[in-house]
Amino acid sequence: MGKVLLGRYVPGDSIVHRMDPRAKLILSFFFIVIIFLANNWQSYALLFALTIGSILAAKVNFAFFIKGVRPLIWLILFTVLLQIFFSSGGTVFWRWGPFNLSYYGLINGAYVFCRFVLIIFMSTLLTLTTAPLEIADALEKLMMPLKKIKVPVYEISLMLSIALRFVPTLMDETAKIMNAQRSRGVNFGEGSIMQQIKAVVPLLVPLFVSSFNRAEDLATAMEARGYRGGEGRTKYRVHYWQTGDTVGCAVFVAVLIILLFLRHW
Amino acid sequence: MDIVEIKNLTFKYPQQEVQNFNNFNLKIKKGEWLAIIGHNGSGKSTLVRLIDGLLAPESGEITVSGIKLTPESVWDVRSKIGMVFQNPDNQFVGANVEDDVAFGLENAAIPRKEMLIRVRQALERVKMWEFADHEPVRLSGGQKQRVALAGIIALKPEIIILDEATSMLDPEGRQAVLEIIRELNQVEHLTVISITHDIDEASNAQRVVVLDDGKIVQDDIPAKIFSHGASLVKIGLEPPFSEKLKEELVKQGIEVPDEYLTKEGMVDWLWQLFSKQ
Amino acid sequence: MAMAIIFKAVNYMYQPNTPFEQQALENISVEIPTGSYTALIGHTGSGKSTFLQHLNGLLRPTSGVIQVGKQAITPETKNKQLGELRKHVGIVFQFPEAQLFEETVIKDIAFAPKNFGKSEEEAETIARRMAQQVGLDDELLSKSPFELSGGQMRRVAIAGILAMEPEILVLDEPTAGLDPQGRLEMMEMFKRLKEEQNLTVVLVTHQMDDVAKYADNVIVLEKGKLIASGTPSEIFAQPNWLVEHHLALPKAGEFALEFEKKTGYKFSTLPLTEVSLAQQIASLLHGGGVHHG
Repeated sequence: MGKVLLGRYVPGDSIVHRMDPRAKLILSFFFIVIIFLANNWQSYALLFALTIGSILAAKVNFAFFIKGVRPLIWLILFTVLLQIFFSSGGTVFWRWGPFNLSYYGLINGAYVFCRFVLIIFMSTLLTLTTAPLEIADALEKLMMPLKKIKVPVYEISLMLSIALRFVPTLMDETAKIMNAQRSRGVNFGEGSIMQQIKAVVPLLVPLFVSSFNRAEDLATAMEARGYRGGEGRTKYRVHYWQTGDTVGCAVFVAVLIILLFLRHW
Repeated sequence: MDIVEIKNLTFKYPQQEVQNFNNFNLKIKKGEWLAIIGHNGSGKSTLVRLIDGLLAPESGEITVSGIKLTPESVWDVRSKIGMVFQNPDNQFVGANVEDDVAFGLENAAIPRKEMLIRVRQALERVKMWEFADHEPVRLSGGQKQRVALAGIIALKPEIIILDEATSMLDPEGRQAVLEIIRELNQVEHLTVISITHDIDEASNAQRVVVLDDGKIVQDDIPAKIFSHGASLVKIGLEPPFSEKLKEELVKQGIEVPDEYLTKEGMVDWLWQLFSKQ
Repeated sequence: MAMAIIFKAVNYMYQPNTPFEQQALENISVEIPTGSYTALIGHTGSGKSTFLQHLNGLLRPTSGVIQVGKQAITPETKNKQLGELRKHVGIVFQFPEAQLFEETVIKDIAFAPKNFGKSEEEAETIARRMAQQVGLDDELLSKSPFELSGGQMRRVAIAGILAMEPEILVLDEPTAGLDPQGRLEMMEMFKRLKEEQNLTVVLVTHQMDDVAKYADNVIVLEKGKLIASGTPSEIFAQPNWLVEHHLALPKAGEFALEFEKKTGYKFSTLPLTEVSLAQQIASLLHGGGVHHG
């Protein structure tokens, strides 16, 4: 269980853990946008400093971040190699057909690599320090203006939080059904493609059936507990915007300003 | 005073041909612990879902705490009733323990300040406060059912319905849940309606109703029902140990009393038997 | 074929070398004899389900060896070598009706034998026989398993495991969620099947009455460790030890203790079932016992 690291919350009590999830969500998006303003090594150095500073502030084991990169390593390498071999300019070191290894290609490859690593580190930081539910809360709050155009924000957010709550349950269920079918002679992940597709049916059908049963039970239970739509409900979980959040935003804005300055240096 | 009154109830599921209930009548007293037993498919769950307005009868009248159940009054009726279902996982709505307890309070639009107090009190009541921030995957079945009970306690209902709420729990989990229910029934005089196959749960009741095919076939105090011995299995109840022992004693040529004896009663009776020797 | 199961110094670790590392089995050495009816007891989190998954190689030990008949499961055993083993060890998981997926009952029961190399016809013949064994009416066989009642679905799932014609049948709380009638019928059915087909049965249960009534061998796990193994009378012989480990006596044993305390009579051995309790009471009553009162 739990081999997927992206989206795995590690409880803790750091400044970053305590931040308002809205602030963390906004800053993560903000960070991804400003990465694209970086165009020289000084600006990348600055972004790395910001990222590493944030990680230090969160007091999370650095090994988690390296593990976060690992599943994506092939995608990263592929993109980096594309950049290296297909961009031209500067001194050309080597050429073969459409491929060429140039100075600019190498630089671009390095930048793309940095961007990937930065984005993965920062989003891993978000999911490691923020419970999925808090992210759902933050989305609800940030989507509030959409209520004006009749988007059912409360319902979407409840759906999201119930979906999140049932992810581990469904993972357990999947493991159980796989065990039962393996005991009946099914080999998952072996044989030809056709065999593998066939092996999925005894897993998916029971999973669907049990999910529908669960959904029905859950709907009954919710109704019995007085749920009649999102309107007029009060909220138990609230988040408060604190000084730390304002400071965090200020730091990121300062980085933006320096980035803009470095870009036109 | 009757807290639940069912008059001339008729009901059938849309996809089925047979009537589940036909001209069914039942009165439940305030503060009473009523056990409903019957084999699977006898209509027990359907009945309590009708009382909570989760299913609508074809005809007949259901009154809960003086409110006649209608499409308009259904939410008022539900606010008087707390229900715990069989599968602990499929009724846990919140992402963690305290959120789940708060779910019902949020629905009832209780102000947040009040919610904080009630959630904590309810969780302390079921001894789950130290788990307030735990997600459901980290809880045992018994703990989840205690959380479900806290969710009900926080809403201060008049009636608790247990729909085989302990059937998926291990013996320790079952004991912990029953302990809480006993307290709610005895100290706060909540009316308890429990559907069960478990003799220990049923023996807490003051009254047992046996359902078969949507009809009440027996309605009596537990001692009377339990004295049926081994045939209890057929009406969906595990026979009490003392009844099983009585049957075996008869096979050994020992004469036994007809009336139901509790475990203690049985030991006493045997003692007297031995003293006479 | 003789198929004893022998655990030798078995350790199992979930997610080793990660922050979530957790030892689920710790140095387990125990034997499940051929032809025994072994009860596996222990609380939630005692490692029962991890133990079960080692019986047919769903999990391989982190260290140690599990010998099932001639086959040994070690940390190095390859998946391909386990197919043969899985055919001999049928596991009925908790709420096994969750594994049903075919269009018809008969097809679902025939699923495992087909996977293990039987032809369509052979598998169907076996499936019909097993359906009968578990008491499913012929008319149900062509229905969808999802149209059946909960109790019937449970029987279909069990027939689906029996159709593998295993030598070892593993049952993980097979009666959970059934009503008392269904529970009794099912436990009697397993007893009959065991005798007729000469099976080795491993039963996971919380019901100590069932342990006393059906099992002849008991394994007790606690927090991943083996804390006792032996016959039911050996396991239930020390009430204080049971209390210490939060385990219950069978109801007959509990009653017997109370009876002894109240009357001063002593049973020669602690009775664990109603039958032996009644017999012992009768013999005491007719002057066979020692009175300490």
